[in-house]
Amino acid sequence: MRESIIMKIHYGTALAAIALVAVHILMRLTQGFAESLEYDSVIANYKFLPYAGMLEIILILLSIHGFNGLRVILLELKQGQRYEKAVSYGCVAAMITLIAYGSRTIIMVNTGMT
Amino acid sequence: MANQDENKEGIGGMINPRRYGIERVAYLLMRLSGLGLLAYFIGHIYETSSILKGQIGWNEFLAITQTNAGHAILAIVIAMCVFHTVNGIRVMLGHGGVGVGKPARPDYPYIPASQNIRHKMGIYSAIILAAIAMMYGLAVMFGE
Repeated sequence: MRESIIMKIHYGTALAAIALVAVHILMRLTQGFAESLEYDSVIANYKFLPYAGMLEIILILLSIHGFNGLRVILLELKQGQRYEKAVSYGCVAAMITLIAYGSRTIIMVNTGMT
Repeated sequence: MANQDENKEGIGGMINPRRYGIERVAYLLMRLSGLGLLAYFIGHIYETSSILKGQIGWNEFLAITQTNAGHAILAIVIAMCVFHTVNGIRVMLGHGGVGVGKPARPDYPYIPASQNIRHKMGIYSAIILAAIAMMYGLAVMFGE
């Protein structure tokens, strides 16, 4: 994929994440900070489908943005065909792993598999 | 013949914030905050997965984060998040040609038009907003 398209994705995921993470943080402040982190409160959040969906979208957006950012930093540091391929594929693999691990939590709690 | 690689300073050159003004400091802070936020994000995903262990598992993991050290780390994360967001928007606007000045003939002392007062103000605003957000976060976490 062309780097110009990757940068557009990088900026797009950043802007979308700003809005959704703001909602995620504001949800913590609707109650007291400590109460919002109580077990029952967190379970209720996960079981509310629109909120669970939003968490899944945040997970995907931030994973793409975060690991592409890491890729950019690593490519600034060193260049070379093999190195660049290894960094790019490594970051994609890490991104997929993190999305899979986070999705597992969201799906299992949302469907009551705890 | 000297190897071209000799001019590469590696990580030492990348993390050196001197020589190029506040823009260079912003460059370093952007990367440090990005790496810090990625580390926090991975930790946060792992932390929240403890809810699958039931109420006892969740409370045990939460107890680790609800300490003074945990609150201090979260305050630093808030600061990194705000700086990364505000400075990121500045960088995006700059890439889009907003606030970088008009093309002109390069005359001595060759001051880059893009490194102007608007972008410097953006960087200082990002730092100040990050500090304010961190103080607010500390007030919320330690105020309870």
